[in-house]
Amino acid sequence: MITLLKRLLGSAAVLVVVLVLNFFLFRIMPGDPLTGIVDPRFSPEAKQQLAAQWGLDRPISEQFVVYIREMLSFRFGLSMMTGVPVWDELKNRVPNTVALLLPALVLSSALGLWLGVKAALRRGSIIERVVLLSGAISFSFPSFFVQLLLLMCFAYLWPIFPLRGTTSIPPPAGIAYLFDYIWHMALPVFSLVILGFGGFALYIRNMMVKAMGEDYVLMARARGLPYSRVVWNHAFRGILPPVLTILLLSLPGVVSGAVITETVFSLNGVGRFLLEATNSHDYPAAGAAFFLLALLTVACNLGADIMYVLVDPRVRRESSRG
Amino acid sequence: MKRRLSTICLALLIILAIAGPKWLGLQDGVQAPAYSKPYWLDSTVAGSFTLDARDGEEVPLSWSYAPPLRVTITGRLDEGFVRWRTPDGDFILADTPGELDLDARDIPFKRAMGISPFGNMASVLFPADGEYKLDLVGRGDVSMKVEGGRWGVLGTDHRGRDVATLFVRGIRVSLLVGITATLIATLLGMSLGLLSGYVGGLTDTLIMRFVDVLLSIPTLPILMVLAGIWGKGLWNLVFILSIFSWMGTARTVRAMTLSLRDAPWVEGLRAIGARRHYIIFRHLAPEALPLLLANVALGVPGAILAEAGLSFLGLSDPRVPSWGRALHEAHTYGAFTNGAWWTILPAGLGISMICLIFMDIGRKLEEQVDPRLSAATALTFQREGEE
Repeated sequence: MITLLKRLLGSAAVLVVVLVLNFFLFRIMPGDPLTGIVDPRFSPEAKQQLAAQWGLDRPISEQFVVYIREMLSFRFGLSMMTGVPVWDELKNRVPNTVALLLPALVLSSALGLWLGVKAALRRGSIIERVVLLSGAISFSFPSFFVQLLLLMCFAYLWPIFPLRGTTSIPPPAGIAYLFDYIWHMALPVFSLVILGFGGFALYIRNMMVKAMGEDYVLMARARGLPYSRVVWNHAFRGILPPVLTILLLSLPGVVSGAVITETVFSLNGVGRFLLEATNSHDYPAAGAAFFLLALLTVACNLGADIMYVLVDPRVRRESSRG
Repeated sequence: MKRRLSTICLALLIILAIAGPKWLGLQDGVQAPAYSKPYWLDSTVAGSFTLDARDGEEVPLSWSYAPPLRVTITGRLDEGFVRWRTPDGDFILADTPGELDLDARDIPFKRAMGISPFGNMASVLFPADGEYKLDLVGRGDVSMKVEGGRWGVLGTDHRGRDVATLFVRGIRVSLLVGITATLIATLLGMSLGLLSGYVGGLTDTLIMRFVDVLLSIPTLPILMVLAGIWGKGLWNLVFILSIFSWMGTARTVRAMTLSLRDAPWVEGLRAIGARRHYIIFRHLAPEALPLLLANVALGVPGAILAEAGLSFLGLSDPRVPSWGRALHEAHTYGAFTNGAWWTILPAGLGISMICLIFMDIGRKLEEQVDPRLSAATALTFQREGEE
């Protein structure tokens, strides 16, 4: 329990840092935040009125309190470009980002896991070559390049997938909507899987190769256990905690990847919202999108942490004692 | 390190980046029509060239292509007329003395040639394959510029700039940003790691917690926001990248410092009254250097990819041609709908190649620092036929 509590505290600390960073990032820039939207011809009174609308005329401590309240209540204030509450614009985009990242993460870790173990068991086979090559690709090929190539091949030269967007325009109704959505999401998710499984498989292969040489695996084989049981229940079980750590460390990268993927495929997600907001200097909107992405990462991190506690008997025993 | 493929490639790239523009005669700026194909790709399309005719000269031209995209005539006519002889008949392009500035897309010019305002004059001037002549009867100096859909080794981009030139210019940005950002980050990570490992206590806890937090926040959104706020200059980018990539180095250096802190020779130094900063900077820092060399090489791909990612999102200086920028422009200005794969492949392969080079060098350095590594863990892929 203590370990879990510690992890919870850690996540809370990350959130606090994100919140503070988010607040000050937009206030350390030169000039005041209104210069982007206020026409120089505006009268000082109009400018003051606008400043009052966003609460920019108050002292910074009071602004901070209001900001924290807005963030924690998920209202995020008003967008400077449209004047609409940011959450109203964002809430339709969150499911798209989750629908992009979650299947990609699950598929790529499952594929990476399976291929990594297979590659470690059959050294020198085609599977091992594939793992080594895809690992090199995922470490050195820019994601947007691979995605652009995929888009070029499967959406332009051989148009079996749509070139852009989350749904067709206008979106079809009923069950057709679901198929249309999957059809639009297929290529982005596929690209993330291609880019993601390689690095993961490579780590698993390396750890599995080491684990298969350990004494306890030799012992298990000597006891005459079935081979698959030796592989999965002994060797793989032993490397599970570090595997989870790798997964945990890769999560921020996955969320960062969402921004680029959504831009390449013109998906209506939080990442592209952040890019648009940044480009149009819409600070409340950009801050909200950044906060949501960080929140997504922290949530995934916490999930992985809980799994870690479940998986590592040492941690579990320690926590049951505490 | 000697004669390893990656080091040779890196040397070639650096030479190309420094001397390439001069040796290869690469030209910046707009060269040819937008999305011209590479020269070797399609022999049915004409390249771009200029015909010059002076007093009474006849300039021959043999033509076996599709009609060109653009035809312009400039120069000066003192007397006489300019005749364009085609296999299907002759055209008098100009017969009034004076400065000439004619474009085949101009409606008055089309009317003068007897073509409808909506007709394509380039296809009328180049009706078939065969022998053509630009004929200046009289005195003057006239040049006719014919622009087809082919240009250079790698074609042109959406603005008609030479892709090969942009590629060579991009090497510089990638190397510069990748190496300087990693160097700064490594210095930062080394100092903080040494401090945290040697001093210990509250300092250690604070720095390491900070590292944990930074490692669990997605950095790209922060980089985007910072680039948006602080401006898109090249050095801003370097600065932003380096303050968010020192964490790994700090952890490595801290672990090393912890293992050395209580070593007998360090204790000896303390015993003879050496100051803390003297021990850290004169004894512990040199100890960390070989480790960091590999760390720098392995960190460069990350910085290059991050720079390329930001540029791809349009958050880089538009005046500085870089590979990420090239891909951003290809994506934004419809390279797909023009089928212009040559604007995408060179830049993308360039980034990948440079990252592979640095990964390979880094791995080699790492093996030299710690020979045990070469046996079991292969972080990059093994290539056949090497070693």
